[in-house]
Amino acid sequence: MTTAVRSELAPYRPGPRAWGMLVGAEAKMVLRDTAGLLTPIMLPMLILVMAGFSAEGESLPNGVQVIDFFVIPLVLTIVLSTIGVLNMPGFLALYRRAGILRRLAVTPARPAMVLVAHVVVSIAHTVVGIGLALAVAVLAFGANLPAKPGLALAVVALAALTMYSVGLLVAAVAHSPNAAVAIGLVLFFGMGAGGGLFGSPGSMPEVVARIGETLPFGASVHAVGAAWVGTAPEPRHLLCMAAAIVVSALVSTRFFRWQ
Amino acid sequence: MLAIEVRDLHKRYGDTVALDDVSLSVNEGEIFGVLGRNGAGKTTTVETIAGLRLPDRGTARVLGLDPRRDRARLRPVLGVQLQDTALHTALTVRELVRLYRSFYPEGADPDELIDSLGLGPRRNVRFEQLSGGQQQRLSIALALVGNPRVALLDELTTGLDPEARRAIWSLVEGLRDTGVTVLLVSHLMEEVERLCDRVALIDHGRVVATDSPAGLIERAGLDQRVRFRASDDAFGTAVLDGVPEVISVEARGDQVTVTGTGNLLQAVSAALVHGGVVVTETRLERATLDDAFLALTGRSLTDETTDETTDETDTEDDR
Repeated sequence: MTTAVRSELAPYRPGPRAWGMLVGAEAKMVLRDTAGLLTPIMLPMLILVMAGFSAEGESLPNGVQVIDFFVIPLVLTIVLSTIGVLNMPGFLALYRRAGILRRLAVTPARPAMVLVAHVVVSIAHTVVGIGLALAVAVLAFGANLPAKPGLALAVVALAALTMYSVGLLVAAVAHSPNAAVAIGLVLFFGMGAGGGLFGSPGSMPEVVARIGETLPFGASVHAVGAAWVGTAPEPRHLLCMAAAIVVSALVSTRFFRWQ
Repeated sequence: MLAIEVRDLHKRYGDTVALDDVSLSVNEGEIFGVLGRNGAGKTTTVETIAGLRLPDRGTARVLGLDPRRDRARLRPVLGVQLQDTALHTALTVRELVRLYRSFYPEGADPDELIDSLGLGPRRNVRFEQLSGGQQQRLSIALALVGNPRVALLDELTTGLDPEARRAIWSLVEGLRDTGVTVLLVSHLMEEVERLCDRVALIDHGRVVATDSPAGLIERAGLDQRVRFRASDDAFGTAVLDGVPEVISVEARGDQVTVTGTGNLLQAVSAALVHGGVVVTETRLERATLDDAFLALTGRSLTDETTDETTDETDTEDDR
């Protein structure tokens, strides 16, 4: 009898099926949130078309196309930051505010599972946004695919991690879904302004450009740009992104509330 | 083994004492009620049992397990319905039930469960578009979807109309038949009287009394009244003299009211038969659980005006 009870009360953790269902649930949440679904696809597309027309055929003195070195990194960074800094904190803050994380905490699933599932969906969303932007850039504006795909992928992955970390930081300090969206917008446009969102760093005052390239958005644009044309990114841009990840992780761990 | 054992729980939020020594023992297969006014400490108690809150002092055990330390062993057999929790807003009833079903090693068939809660016609409606009562029924479905051995149900029928409420009560009675232990938090007398084997009355963070609903009424020492109509206008109260259960007899015309204790109805009937008195329209007026609550705590269950404690749902978290 004792053994029967013991085996019935054996530890249980949800398996692949639960993970699959959770990822599916997050995917439906993202697909049914029309504005959040379209912004990371339409906004980069808009910037691509505007910057693409003015940069088309332009080259730097070293022969590198402006579209490869500046426009593509800018557009990819917009995809990464709209999803990481604008969308993700909004969802996490909503889940916490509505008690969804609390509700999950009393099931065999853990609240952290829903965060992981959401990141998985965000990555898929990012891949779709980047894929569409690249297709238009290559087909309409003669952009090149990266000379060293492995290097470019690694730097884009680092930039994605940076943006998701900043998003987690926003979710950790925001007390409501509205606050999360507001803080996310300020960060997105603040970092973006210094990083080339409204014009190339070359056309900015020196001090703004210097500050801009130390922030995650600008650092991402510079590092991805270098990687895209097959050169090594400057260490300071990589270090700035790494620093943003470390600071965000520390602050999030300290302040994130599950309920 | 006790299904739920709570010992000496204390919990304070700032200056507010939410739990001031709460102890409960719930047997397996029992439907156990926790009854009290808003702010009495009911929700803090149930959230501590669910492992969502850490008490300042005291212990909670469910099926002998610690709700926080033995999380992985307890969660698969524990069903919880919390107050004021939303779900993934954009998912439909069916998607949510299937999602939560996937968290448990075994459980109910999602579609049958949806039907049994009367949500069949709403199965493809998103959570955000459900009425409050429908959201409540979905929340109950999710508490039961893993075929729990122990179910914690906090304010089960809040926001439901009387018809839906009775349907949910039948469902809970069905749980008893399958041996599920239910801890039912409520402030509704009718619900507790109908469903619960035993009830703990909680007031100001303390357990005032624990007993069966009838036992609580009896313990409150409230008088019962037997009323009847005597067929003979010249009814003499002498026939009830010496009946130990009788405290007083009042005759007004042919209407007679007998006040007393214990098994009053049977004692009065026997005395009347013995005395050869024929009466009609006999009825027993018993004290209700509400009367007992008032007698045991000094305040009515529905009295909100003198509430001194804060709303439990706004208290700080401690995860």
